[in-house]
Amino acid sequence: MPAGAVITFSLNLLSAVVALLTSYYAYRFNRLVGNPVLGAISVGFALLGIGLAVDAGTSLLTGRLLVEFPADRALTLLASFTYLTVQMAAYLVIAVGYGRAVYRGAAKAAAPVVFVGWAASLYSFSLLSYFVSVVLLAFVVFQGLLLRSGKKNGMSSMVLLGFALILAAHLMLLLSVLTLGTLLFLFGTAVQFLGFLSLLVFVVRSEVVVPG
Amino acid sequence: MSQGEKQRSVLRINLDILNAVRDEGEAKPTHILYKANLSHERMVRYLDDLTAKGLIQMKQEGENRTYSMTPKGVGFLIEMRRAESFVQGFGLAI
Repeated sequence: MPAGAVITFSLNLLSAVVALLTSYYAYRFNRLVGNPVLGAISVGFALLGIGLAVDAGTSLLTGRLLVEFPADRALTLLASFTYLTVQMAAYLVIAVGYGRAVYRGAAKAAAPVVFVGWAASLYSFSLLSYFVSVVLLAFVVFQGLLLRSGKKNGMSSMVLLGFALILAAHLMLLLSVLTLGTLLFLFGTAVQFLGFLSLLVFVVRSEVVVPG
Repeated sequence: MSQGEKQRSVLRINLDILNAVRDEGEAKPTHILYKANLSHERMVRYLDDLTAKGLIQMKQEGENRTYSMTPKGVGFLIEMRRAESFVQGFGLAI
């Protein structure tokens, strides 16, 4: 199997584990706290985890990267479409959750409206998906900054850093699709993993908090 | 009800009471009243609720009444600390 596929498989699988772990903790603490934003984070990260696991599985089974647009197998195409769709849905759920937290008190949340048009090819759908994900992630980072203002702490810095790295990764992934650059795609996947690593540190640190 | 009280959630008030009880080991109502910043009437209601849930226990000695944490209350407080830390990470508050 090509090294690129092995790297993508490993990094995306680890990222999927972190995303599912974050989803579990958001679900667990939401049962105690009852905050709708935590519900959105739980659903969003569960979707992200599933999407990343699908993409990791696709890399493992086909030995090819999404950016290489393998059109020779129907199953690979289906898996890639599934990953990209689930990813967009995940970031949409998280963005709407954050939007509600920032604008609560208003009659309705200013949820971003995303129109996903029919895409004839995986290439155009990938462009659309990564672009929408970049917009949604930029929205999430911006809302995170607004929520964080005035109550800065190390924990919120790690979450914000995680989202900022995932945003930077998606910009690289978008560029890699535009330029069909495999190396940039791998680099973007690695930066995305670093973003999830930051979230993992945050999850572990929040778990070891003891009454003080 | 003070302005500060209005903005606190029921969960936040319960946490403030539990923290006050835990800090003292055996807390007198006046200490809880001061630490949790509540009116006497509301404090009694919250203490009764926490006692009914088995998170704190009351000890009466003559005229003196004190409250202490139960093992269930200690476990709940630890889990709430974790939840609070997690929630704050996303820029939110309990």
